[in-house]
Amino acid sequence: MNSRQMNIFGLFFGAGFGGILAAGTLHEYDTIHAMLRLDEFYVYGFMGSGIMVATAALWLFERKQTTTLTGEEIKLQRSKPQTHHIKGAAVFGAGWAIAGTCPAPALVMLASGGLLALIVIPGIFLGIHLASEKGDLEFGDGEHRQVTSSFQN
Amino acid sequence: MDNQLIYAALLPERVSWFILGPLLGLLTAAFFLVMNQPLGASGAYTQTLNFLRRNGYRVIWRIWYFAGMALGGVVVTQFLQDNRGFRSGFDAFRAASPLWLVIPLIFIGSVLIGYGAKVAGGCTSGHGICGVAQRSKSSIVATCTFMSSAIIVTGAIRLISGGNL
Repeated sequence: MNSRQMNIFGLFFGAGFGGILAAGTLHEYDTIHAMLRLDEFYVYGFMGSGIMVATAALWLFERKQTTTLTGEEIKLQRSKPQTHHIKGAAVFGAGWAIAGTCPAPALVMLASGGLLALIVIPGIFLGIHLASEKGDLEFGDGEHRQVTSSFQN
Repeated sequence: MDNQLIYAALLPERVSWFILGPLLGLLTAAFFLVMNQPLGASGAYTQTLNFLRRNGYRVIWRIWYFAGMALGGVVVTQFLQDNRGFRSGFDAFRAASPLWLVIPLIFIGSVLIGYGAKVAGGCTSGHGICGVAQRSKSSIVATCTFMSSAIIVTGAIRLISGGNL
């Protein structure tokens, strides 16, 4: 796949993700807040069923040794828990509770005309910037992996 | 001309979770089939930040992916739903507190979101959906931690605000 195709696929998948979040109003503070107050089951059902389907599909890919469209082996990644996972997630959870949004829904909030997302998005960038001053923190298993093969070019 | 007819929403105010959740699961799986990468969002922020400051590791398609999330939001909220127009995005928070309090609080919350996601190596999508779906122990631990932390802090906010939030 050349880089232009990768960019188009990136845009397309991003749009699918953002569109799904928007259709479920996950970009609204009220939705996340109602979930965390345990008032509403909606987001738990949303995330839970998403995880179940994705887990089953990835399990099947692994079992059948499915390859990607370009014929590569699908690379799943698993790592052991370390203290930074717990510390970071505890801080993240506090921010999630206060701001009632998280990185992807914040972009959708802006897209929906939610103007306070203009406060949220720079805040997230600042937080990432402050953490990256702390030295080399590796991406987790669900985030982008550095690929050294020629595939990226 | 009846504008209401033209702008009739194609999607309900909120589509059922049992449709959207599995759809998100399939999208996550398809992302592996096409890009061989997880569908995390905070990583895309990091890539975009590195791109903006022209420093560090960055992959250009992740920036297109970042823009795509907003584009998908525009398409659904502005064209398929019936709730166009500018809003705060924080209705319940605004109803309970004045704006001068809401703005600094959500800014602090957002900094914690970015900082925590970077330190933990992922957010709700990266650890919560993609990491758990890969059956990664670190993601399962991170997800349980941020769920508990968020529910506890929400409880604390509820107490401090006297039940208003």
